[in-house]
Amino acid sequence: MADKQSQTNISRRTFLKTSTLVVAGSAIAFGAVSVPLLRKERLLLRPPGALDEDIFLASCIKCGQCLQVCPPQVIKLAGIGQGFGIGTPYIIPREGACILCSGLPCVLACPTGALAHELSLGKDAEMGLAVISNPDTCLSIRGVNDLVYRLENFQKKKTSSADQTELKDILASLIKRLTEDEKRAWQNRFSLTELSDKTLLTILKQLENSDLKWIINFVGSSSQAQKACQICLDECPIKDEKTIVFVPRTHADTGQDYVWPSVRKTCVGCGVCEEKCPTAVASITITPRLKWSEKQAGNQPRTNKQA
Amino acid sequence: MKNSPDKKDKKQEKVKTFKGAGLRSQNIPQPGHAQHKWRNIRWAILLFFNFLFFASFFFDIQILEGSLSGSRLLGFHLIDPLVALQVILSSQIIMVNLIIGVVTIILIYLMFGGRSFCAWICPYHWLAELGEEIHQILKKKKIIKNHIFDRKIRYYFYGLFLLLALITGYIVFETINPVAIISRFIVYGPSLMLLWVMALLIFEILFSRRAWCRYFCPVGVSYQLIGLLAPLRIKWDKENCSNCKRCQSVCLVPHVLNDSVNQGTSDFVNASDCTRCGLCVDICDDEALSYGVKYLDKLI
Repeated sequence: MADKQSQTNISRRTFLKTSTLVVAGSAIAFGAVSVPLLRKERLLLRPPGALDEDIFLASCIKCGQCLQVCPPQVIKLAGIGQGFGIGTPYIIPREGACILCSGLPCVLACPTGALAHELSLGKDAEMGLAVISNPDTCLSIRGVNDLVYRLENFQKKKTSSADQTELKDILASLIKRLTEDEKRAWQNRFSLTELSDKTLLTILKQLENSDLKWIINFVGSSSQAQKACQICLDECPIKDEKTIVFVPRTHADTGQDYVWPSVRKTCVGCGVCEEKCPTAVASITITPRLKWSEKQAGNQPRTNKQA
Repeated sequence: MKNSPDKKDKKQEKVKTFKGAGLRSQNIPQPGHAQHKWRNIRWAILLFFNFLFFASFFFDIQILEGSLSGSRLLGFHLIDPLVALQVILSSQIIMVNLIIGVVTIILIYLMFGGRSFCAWICPYHWLAELGEEIHQILKKKKIIKNHIFDRKIRYYFYGLFLLLALITGYIVFETINPVAIISRFIVYGPSLMLLWVMALLIFEILFSRRAWCRYFCPVGVSYQLIGLLAPLRIKWDKENCSNCKRCQSVCLVPHVLNDSVNQGTSDFVNASDCTRCGLCVDICDDEALSYGVKYLDKLI
């Protein structure tokens, strides 16, 4: 359609424009490399079986199949805000932790082996390590019972009926810890024939402020229920060996006795303890990729990855 | 002044006397020719498969799990060839599942024609087609101009991203891959990277028609390599062609029709960048273009 003269013009212009495009495209390509590198230091908690971070990033194709098969649906895909590795899977334990389900479906689903197929048992995973990151708030260090703590908190903010699920949760865990005699006391108080999850609802319906105080006092005096918080150990999915041992210690300066929840080698860093920790900000948190040997050396939460 | 009427004459003459390789002298619309037949079929298939990705996760029907980078169709691994190549280069590990997935995909697209992935499956292609219509309207009203580049830069980008994967040990391209970003959006919900995809679309609409698919997309290049061997191709019927060239005006990669429509040296569209989208088949009411299988006669 165009004659020869303008055709050569077009091709010359095309060449110039094309070179501009090549430069722009290359700039974007190198941007794609460097932008995520800026936040490489921040490690994310990867699903079980993840290879070492560098090789993991090299082999994860961001297909999200691990996310699809995850029974508790806790795996998320990283966005641009999470930095290095857009689209790679990670877990926020506080919002929902890996429960190390049997068979590890996420590992089996991974097509590239970024989640290594050598891993077959949840207890052999090496996701990270639990660390007591906020000893000041930790209930077992302070010697506070978790139910008392939760009930008091509940009493403070109790205004709307939306909190009923929280209270139900508290009562359910409380009832599990009661002795037969104590259960009988409850049945008398609320005139029930038996104490179970079903009757919980009837208790909740007729519950008044005075009852709440009674419950708090009750927990305070109960032998079973008033022990200091051990939620992290109780909820830990690794059952055959103790992952957390509560060690009695004495404060060097004040001479005060306290109990230190010491995380042991069997911890895989699944994050259930972080999810279940009753304090407002989790007192125990997972440091992704932290290894037992590294922790022994410093005994401090690792902030930067040493290359 | 003297030149310009001359030029005009030449032009007119050119149009009048222009003879392509087709043997029909004038355009004869064939009765029963459906204008959007193949486009409608293709869009239905494209939307169906992308919905299947969505539904497999959202409704937990587990037929096609994953996203376009990697998935399992009823348990069989499927992996995008470009992703696989990048992973092998960056991690230098070769996984059995990876190979199984890629080989399956290669076999599938050998059957259905290499870059048919682009036109028949890729969700970005669909968005770009809608953007292309807006582009054409704006261009008709002379609000914008189309900027043409050299299409060969696709191979440069293909090489660049493979090289970057090898050097950095990270599959760099997947960070900006709009196909994967949209596919993840369909299955797992929105992310901020959608802004990048929108920027690409706006660039295509306002500046350069179908720029990503034509000049950048390395995903397309990898399917193109499969397309070199895939026998399912667009067939050109010399007897019916009236040289109207409308096929090239709608084509994503018009040069692929050069061999047949312009020069008449081949009965099939042999260039590997052909996406087998069927737009040319739809527009050709002479019924000179159709889907065909090359080498079929030799087999029979």
